[in-house]
Amino acid sequence: MRADAQVLKGHLDTLLLASLENGPRHGYAVKEALRAGSDARFDLPTGTIYPALRRLEAAGLVKGTWAEAGGRRRRIYELTPAGLRRLAGDRAAWRDFASAVSAILEPAR
Amino acid sequence: MSALIDDYLAGLRRRLPAPIAEEAAAGLLDTYEHHLTSNAGDQEAARAALAEFGDLAMVASEFTRQAPGRRAARLLLATGPVAGSCWAAALIGGRAWTWPVPATARLAFGAVLLLAILALLVAATSQHSYQRTRLAMLASPVILALDVTAVAAAWLTAPALTWALGAAVAVSLGRIAFTAWTLPRLAAR
Repeated sequence: MRADAQVLKGHLDTLLLASLENGPRHGYAVKEALRAGSDARFDLPTGTIYPALRRLEAAGLVKGTWAEAGGRRRRIYELTPAGLRRLAGDRAAWRDFASAVSAILEPAR
Repeated sequence: MSALIDDYLAGLRRRLPAPIAEEAAAGLLDTYEHHLTSNAGDQEAARAALAEFGDLAMVASEFTRQAPGRRAARLLLATGPVAGSCWAAALIGGRAWTWPVPATARLAFGAVLLLAILALLVAATSQHSYQRTRLAMLASPVILALDVTAVAAAWLTAPALTWALGAAVAVSLGRIAFTAWTLPRLAAR
């Protein structure tokens, strides 16, 4: 976790959910999606992705299943209906927040 | 494969339950292979993979903090004061010392309760040891049995049903349901 470590921590769950929006992924692919999607700014230690996914699974937001992929047994995660609802709520809340901050930091001239 | 990677994998298997260690190991091997394709040497790729994956103690701690046993222990401990106060009010109000319950049974109940609470405290506060969170798997059925015993004892020996006793029994029944629901999930992890 290099840039924006604290800010990122507060949004990690939402970002993990968003990374699963386009289909099921295993932990390493989730980490790569976050890195690629943020232009390498969100480069979390890979080892911390797995406990976070387990936490989301315990909360019923994602569902993990074992599958054979690339010659190795991996746990593949997908969004549950509750996870989809949470992501939609988080996204709306983020838009509200971001537009409020923008309105203050970058007022129309 | 690099000895550095082997050591790390052995560390994961030592510190974490098998399914969790296997999942993390697959992630480390993915990271390692990713670096093998872009870096020249085996050692260099191993070092880069370990740096990217994160320190073993930190990764084990993250898993420990998310352990279902730790969460279940915290929930049970959080309901402890409520259940305890309800039962205290019911027993004092009902003059429980006059009920026909043998002194040894009372003492045994207290001792077992104390041990279960201690085990839950260890599980709930564990920061680095996943093994300790598994104490919740031992303590939860004990708490379940104590709740059942308390309800049964009240049913059989209490001379009258008071409001306080009804509340205490309701809290215990809630905890019995919660523990019975959590236990299979604890055993699965």
